[in-house]
Amino acid sequence: MIRGAVMEKLHLEATQYTPEISLDPNGVIAFTGKSYPENTFDFYQPVMEWLDQYFGNELPERTVVNMEIIYFNSSSSKLFFDMFDMMEEAGSEHALEVNWIYDPENESAREAGEDFIEDFDKLTINLIEKG
Amino acid sequence: MDIKAIEKILEADGIVFLTYGGFITQSLIAGMTDALERESEKKDINQRLANNIFVIFIELSQNMMNYSKSRESAGEAFDPKGLIVVGKGESDSYYILSQNILDRSDRDKIQPKLEEIQRLDNEALKLRYRELRKSGRDSHGKGAGIGFYEIAKRCDRIQYEFIPIGDDKYYFQFKAIVK
Repeated sequence: MIRGAVMEKLHLEATQYTPEISLDPNGVIAFTGKSYPENTFDFYQPVMEWLDQYFGNELPERTVVNMEIIYFNSSSSKLFFDMFDMMEEAGSEHALEVNWIYDPENESAREAGEDFIEDFDKLTINLIEKG
Repeated sequence: MDIKAIEKILEADGIVFLTYGGFITQSLIAGMTDALERESEKKDINQRLANNIFVIFIELSQNMMNYSKSRESAGEAFDPKGLIVVGKGESDSYYILSQNILDRSDRDKIQPKLEEIQRLDNEALKLRYRELRKSGRDSHGKGAGIGFYEIAKRCDRIQYEFIPIGDDKYYFQFKAIVK
C-alpha cells in the first residue's frame, strides 16, 4: 500500500449479480444494485483496498457514501459490515455519512439498514426512502 | 426419498415457478434469479416477499455451488447434482426447496446451526445473526457462515432432513416457507 499516492477514481459497471460501484477520491462513494457475487470477498477486494488507501490519505472535507442495494446475499452482508467497520474507524476524525437508500416497498432493505444503524453507533447512517 | 419422488410431490403440490436439477454455476444462478424476478413481477408479488424469495434462493443455490466446487478442488469423487425448486404453497405462501448430497462431516457442521435456528424466536434470531456477522468467524471462507441464519430471518419457517443413503452420505433436504 502506497501512502500519500494520488488516488484514482475506481468505477465498476453493474452486472447481473454485482452493483455499480463508484469510488471517487473527492469524497463520493456509491454502490447501486444487487450484490451476490460468486466469491464476495474476492470481488470486493479491490474496493476494500481502495477504501483502505483512501482513508490513509489526506481526506476531503467530507465523505458521502450512498448505498442503494436492492438485495444481497449473506456474504455481502458480512462484507458491508466490514466496510462500515472501516468507515466508522475513519469517521472518528473525519466527517463521513452513509446514506442507506431503499425503495418504500422494499421492507427488507430498510430493515437491513436499521440493523447496520444498531451495530454502528459511532457511524452516521441515514435511512433514506426513495421518493 | 429420491429425486423422482420429489418430482411427484411437486406435481401434486401447487404451482412450481422454477425447478432445476444438475450442476449449478454462478451464471445459472443469476439467470434463474432473473427468471424469478420476472415471475414475481408477472404475479404481482409484493417486493418484500419477492426479495425474500430471491435471497433464500441465492443462498441455497450458492451453498450448493460452493459445496460442489470445494469437493471438486479436493479431487474427490462427488455427485454435484443439486435440486432446487421454487413454488407456490398454500394460502399465499411460497417455498424454496433444495436437495443435495452431503458427507457425514458436513452434516455434523450444518445440523447444529439448523437446530439452533429452530430453537430461536424471531428477535433472538436477528440478534444471533448480527452477533455472528460481527464475529468475523469463517469470514475467509467462501461465505460468511451466516447463510442459514439469513434464510431463517427471511422466512416463516424452515424444515430440513438428513436422509442417510449409505457410505456415510446423506441427502440434505431443506425447505424454507415464506409468507
